[in-house]
Amino acid sequence: MKAASLRRLGILTLGLSAGMGLGGAEIQNPKPKTGNPGSPSVVLAQEGMIAIPAGVYVPLQRTTKEAAQVAVASFLLDEHPVTNAEFLAFVTVQPKWRRSQVSGLFADSSYLENWAGDLEPGPSAPPGAPVVRVSWFAARAYARWAGKRLPTTAEWELAAAAGYARPDGRNDAELKRDLYAWLARPVPAVQAEAAAARPDFHGVRGLHGLVWEWVDDFNTAMVTGESRGDSGLERDLFCGAGSVGAKDPGDYAAFMRTALRSSLKANNTTSALGFRCAQDAPHP
Amino acid sequence: MNAIASMSRPEICNTIRYTFPVRLGALILSGLLAVPGALAAEPAANPDACCPAIDAAAFTKNSLYQADATFTDDTGRAVKLGELRGRPVVLAMFFASCGYACPLIVSDMQTIREKLPAEIRERAAFVLVSFDVARDTPAALATYRAQRSLDGQWVLLHGADDSVRELAALLGVKYKQETDGAFSHSNLITILNPQGEITHQRTGLKGGLDEAAAALAAAACAN
Repeated sequence: MKAASLRRLGILTLGLSAGMGLGGAEIQNPKPKTGNPGSPSVVLAQEGMIAIPAGVYVPLQRTTKEAAQVAVASFLLDEHPVTNAEFLAFVTVQPKWRRSQVSGLFADSSYLENWAGDLEPGPSAPPGAPVVRVSWFAARAYARWAGKRLPTTAEWELAAAAGYARPDGRNDAELKRDLYAWLARPVPAVQAEAAAARPDFHGVRGLHGLVWEWVDDFNTAMVTGESRGDSGLERDLFCGAGSVGAKDPGDYAAFMRTALRSSLKANNTTSALGFRCAQDAPHP
Repeated sequence: MNAIASMSRPEICNTIRYTFPVRLGALILSGLLAVPGALAAEPAANPDACCPAIDAAAFTKNSLYQADATFTDDTGRAVKLGELRGRPVVLAMFFASCGYACPLIVSDMQTIREKLPAEIRERAAFVLVSFDVARDTPAALATYRAQRSLDGQWVLLHGADDSVRELAALLGVKYKQETDGAFSHSNLITILNPQGEITHQRTGLKGGLDEAAAALAAAACAN
């Protein structure tokens, strides 16, 4: 298993420092960071990012012309969603993204509404909590500023398919329980600490159970809503669209993510929508 | 509305004021806010100059021209959308190898053009931006221009994936590449006023061309 993991990691193991977490030993507060004990994720030069091994994303819904499976190359993903403190650093140096200065084209009127002021997150937005009420444009601008990018839908969903203890979380009862409990709870007035979320198999925190997250290609989702909508005018709105059956009707949360993405405009902000950044995996 | 093509500009603008009083209010407001220098159409800018300096601070709050994305036209020249400021614009996203909706969209843009009064038609820009960042190179777009007999009023743009996705997000266009290389995409024709603000969008593939032409004329009249 260990050998297989290492083989699967391929080039990613090149980034290993000595004594990393592949041996299964508990490492407290590692610096640089590791994934879970026994996790295939490895230590990376990038602080706070975790390698997600290459894999296959199976889209929830697709048109007849779309691939049933999408191969995803290995990539790096932020360990936790971008926090208020991190976003504050960004708007401090890029004034055009401050609440009072942002263009309505790039963020709607509730942008950073939960912050106390332009440069003051305040009590409703604790420093370590995920930043919410940010638009796609703002999330993208942050990522560019940080030298990163937003993950694609395929990347995000591949990472989020992991369970707590296994790379494939489909049958992870604990994860499902936590996920559906989160979906059933109202959005809290103040978000929880991002770094305190339980890590998954790869060591990534908060993909489920913290906030919804923007993806770079959110505007590919073409679900028009109800099936009656796919006739008449709606069919002419999209060239070649028209979704066919879903791969896993039981994956209720994935339906919700797809519905959310397709309902969003790029300048929208909501009280439970944040983001995290990704990067291409370093190649030797 | 077809009749507007034969009207003089004052007649057109009066007709439009009468027909679209509500929209006009907003346009007058944006006209008052406009920078005086922005009124002059500048289609004759030196085509060899790369990215003429544009004062981004002068763009209005809802101007798409605030976006800093850079595109390349079919002559290989770097283009920022802000260069279109001062002209009414008909804008659509497409891909050259599209066999279904895109030819219709281009034909519809040509129809909108025919419906315009001559004076506005001459000032307008007709812009096509490709989703197909891999195949619709400037050379491929030049071929497309020749095949479709698109004259100098048409601006054909290639962009990096980042720029194309940002523009799509600004327009509300959704798109996705299929396994056969073709793209599923929203069918949208957008009208921009001389400040680069969206004043009208025609969705779908049927009808709406008179309204689009009227919106373009109204946008041009606002200045």
